[in-house]
Parts: sequence; C-alpha cells; structure tokens
Amino acid sequence: MMQRATVRVVRDARRVPWLDPMVLPAAGALAVVVGYPVVYTLLLSLQDYDLLGTVPERFIGAANYRKLLDDPTFWQALGNTAIYTFGSVAVAALLGLALALLTESVGGHRGRLARTLLLTPWAVPFVVVAFLFRYMYLQNGGAINAALLATGVIDAPISWLNVSSLALTAVMITNIWTMTPFFFLLLAAALAGIPNEVIESARVDRARGWSLVVQIKLPFLRNALLVSSLLMIIANFNDFAKIWAMTQGGPGYATTTLVIYVYRQAFENFAIGYASAIGVVWLLLLLAFAIAYLRALRTS
Amino acid sequence: MSSVRPRDAVRRATRAARWAAIVVALVVSLAPVYWMVATSFKTELEAARLAPTLWPHEPTLANYRGLWSGSLPFLAFFTNTLLTCLATAVAAVVVATPAAYALSRARFRLRGVIGYAMLVFRMLPLVVLLAPLYLLLLHARLLDTHTGLVVGFATFGLPFAVWMMKGFIDTVPIEIEEAARIDGYPRWQIMLKVVVPLVVPGLLTTATFVFMEAWNNLIYPLTFITTLEKQTLPAALVLAFTGQFKTDWGGMMAAATLTTLPLMIAFFAVQRSMVRGLTSGAVAGA
Repeated sequence: MMQRATVRVVRDARRVPWLDPMVLPAAGALAVVVGYPVVYTLLLSLQDYDLLGTVPERFIGAANYRKLLDDPTFWQALGNTAIYTFGSVAVAALLGLALALLTESVGGHRGRLARTLLLTPWAVPFVVVAFLFRYMYLQNGGAINAALLATGVIDAPISWLNVSSLALTAVMITNIWTMTPFFFLLLAAALAGIPNEVIESARVDRARGWSLVVQIKLPFLRNALLVSSLLMIIANFNDFAKIWAMTQGGPGYATTTLVIYVYRQAFENFAIGYASAIGVVWLLLLLAFAIAYLRALRTS
Repeated sequence: MSSVRPRDAVRRATRAARWAAIVVALVVSLAPVYWMVATSFKTELEAARLAPTLWPHEPTLANYRGLWSGSLPFLAFFTNTLLTCLATAVAAVVVATPAAYALSRARFRLRGVIGYAMLVFRMLPLVVLLAPLYLLLLHARLLDTHTGLVVGFATFGLPFAVWMMKGFIDTVPIEIEEAARIDGYPRWQIMLKVVVPLVVPGLLTTATFVFMEAWNNLIYPLTFITTLEKQTLPAALVLAFTGQFKTDWGGMMAAATLTTLPLMIAFFAVQRSMVRGLTSGAVAGA
C-alpha cells in the first residue's frame, strides 16, 4: 500500500510538465535576444575586446574589473546616476502626489480637462523633451533665461547646460517635468480606489485636511508609491535619450551617468570588454536594489 | 446664520487657492509644449531672437515645408519610425499573449522562474545588451536593417508585453472558460475565442505602450542603423542637430512637433486603461 501511494505521488509530480508549449515562442525569442546577450556580456567583461578588431580578443580574467575600481570617472558616473535617479524620482513623486491630492475633489468637466492636460508632458518623446529644454535653456534667447530676467530672479543670463555645477540639476529639472505626470496618474488612480467608507468614518472621527491626508490617505497610497517609484527608478537608471540629446554627458563628466559612460566606452573608445564589465557591475547593483524593493512591497 | 459665513469664506478661499495651484501646474506642464509649437511657426530669424517673442509675429509654414524639401528626408524618417514601432507592437502582443495566458492559467514547473525572468528582463539596462546585440545582429546580417531594429525593440517590448498581458488576463475569471473546456475545445481556441475578446482593451493598451516605448527609444537606432535614409525620428533629431539644424531652432521645433504628434495621439487614446495595466502587472510580479 505504502509503496503504491509513493509511486502515485511521484507520478503526479511527473505529470506537472517543466514547460508549457504556449510560453515557448516568447521564452525562445527572449532567450536569443536577451538571455544570450547577457551571458555574452559576462564573457566579454573578462576579455580585452576591441570592436574595431585591430587587436585579436583575448581573455584577461578580472583585469577589467580591477581597472574599474581605480577609474575615477566610473565612480563619478555612479554618483551621478544615483543623484539623477533618486533626486528626480523623489521630487517627481512628491509633485505627483501633490497634484493628485490637489485635483482629487475637483469634479465636473473642468476637473477632468485639467487632469487630462496635466498628463501632457508624459506624451512628449524623450528626445523632443531634451531638445525643447535645450532650446529653452539657451544662454542667449532662451525662454527660461528671458523669463527669469524679466521677473528679476537673475541679473545676467545663465548658460545652464555649460556650467558643470548646474548642468546635472538642469537635466534633472527636465526629467522631473516629463516624469511627474506618471506619478500623478498612478497616485490619482490609487486615491480614487480608497473605499468611501474609510473616508466617511475618518470624517466622522473629525479628521480634516492634513490629518485626513497623512493618517488615512497616505497609508493607502503606500503600494502605489512603491510600485510607481520602482518602475521610474529602473527607467531612470537606464535613461539614455534625455541626457545624450541634452549634454552628451558633458560638460566634462558633469552629467555622465553609467549609461552614457558605458555607451562612450563601447562605441567611442570601442573598449567592449571594459564597457561590459561596467555593465555587469551595474546590473548587479540594479538587481540587488530591485530585490530589496520587491521584498518591501511583499511585506506590505 | 452668522456662524456659517466665516466657514463659507474659508471654504471659498481654499477653493481659490486650490485652483490657483492647479493653474500654475497647468502652465508649467503646457508652456514648454506651447513653446515648441509656437517656435515651429516662427521664421529662423525670429526663433533665434535675443528677446524671444511670446507668439510668432510673422507666422510661417516654412519650417514644415523645409522638412519635406530640406536635405534630410524627414518623411522617410517618419515612416521608418511608424513602421518599426507598429511592427514591434504587433509582434510583441502576438508572441506575448499565449505566454501570458500560460503564465496566468497553466501549471508547469518553470512558471515561477519564467515569471520572474520577465520582470528581471524588464529591468535590464539596454546599454548592457547593446554590444552583444550589435555583434549578434552583425553576424545575422541584420545590422542596418529595420528587421534588426525590431529585434532590438523586442528586448524591452516583449517582456513588458508578457508582464502586462498577464495582469490583464489575471482579471478574467477562470469560470468563464469552464463551459468551453467541458465542451472539449483545445486550449489555444479557448484563449483566442473566449479570453482574448474579453481583454481587447488590455491588448490595445499593451500594444500602445510598447509602441510608445519603441518610439521613445534612441540608443538602438543610433547604434544599429548606419544608413541615414533608414533612420528613425529620435535618432534623426540628434543627427540633424549636428548638421542641418545647428542654429535653426524653428526647423528643429517643426521636426520635434512632427515627432510628438503620433505619440500624443497614442497616449491620450489609452491613458484611461493605462493605470490598471501598469499596476496589476507590477503587483502580480511581486
């Protein structure tokens, strides 16, 4: 009896297949276009590989990784990436939250129109945003300098994108402009999803204004905030278009993030091996971060 | 009566402050877009003025005519972008839907692994894939072709589509399929005839999303396309700026407006169902 029961259990377990044929096309395609390149990157990172092919590629072990530790530009790029990502995401999330709370109780046609129009910046392609702001940031004839001069905020026009200390902030402002609608959209939806009874019972308990927002609404928004900021942190870690089209990482290395640095190493210096090593380190950082984040989400 | 009035005044003041803040937010959101469109109708001289004009004083269509007749084939860029992005969106949804259906409904051992892989693939920095993909396309003789570009776009479009479609299919109650299952229909027919018609809005949202991401992508066309005539709009804007439009901001903004229009139409078409797709996928993956 015992034996037969065990056999049946084993057979049941065997009946669960490893794969489902329906996932094969997608899984197969991704194995080729994503899986293979990832493995290949790992291999390339251990090689001295010149894209021009003047020197035959050869394995050099961890040399690329050792070089990376002593490369000040790598560390600067890592710092810039952190500032760019977390700075823009934090500000955009706060602004999006403020907009969601502001427009929450505004009903009717006017409210709906305002909400829709507030989403506009997100519908502008990144490269267009970059050139548009580049035009507005111009030192001579730029709209932003003209507006600041006219209102007396500054006395002389500023060359926003050419001053090392200002360039990163200027690019981040551009980034915040495009990203805020995303947080606004998700948080407004989460606000609308708070059950009416919760708000009503809080009202009965005389919660008004700020206390209603902080004690009742914010806890409900926690997950929406976590999910939306995770998505945007990943997107910003990988952001190439905006920075490349605005500054190409300059002046100097002031706006060089890891993406820009990897791109430059691979396609301007043709140092594919070294670029791959930077990519691998960065991939590990991103994964560690994403896992921590998903844990936080699951415990809630 | 008199005790009510001050409270009314406070309420009215709050309302006014609220609208003032909304109006400021609207101005900040829309002014740059207005500036782009307004500049695209200015003459080259007016667009470069030291004291910028608030609206085009001598409105002209010259910048848009220049896109047709200028040295850069913007019409070709436009169709290149439209075709590659549409192909990516359609291919991603067609390949992703069965996978999403299986991940949502079927039992198989690698289900958890594949589900996580979709999420992780979604996070991969494109630039990390860039060099190996470049070599892959080179060996497959797909470098500098639109097919190669679509393959590149699939690296982010496909995992994203699977992830989002799974979220939409998860919302369809499984009981709906039972009648068809009892009648002995094969699984793929149940998917096509019962489930897919119920998630058409989700399908369109997903396709639009992939379309938008591809439209926004700069790094792949810049790296994989080397013939100017085959280039896409975002990359063409970058290339144009180093050439034809170096100082011609009116022309640049006309090209920018042309690049923006299709994306804006796509965005406002799906913005309502967008939230559900984004959040359901994200939570399901966690």
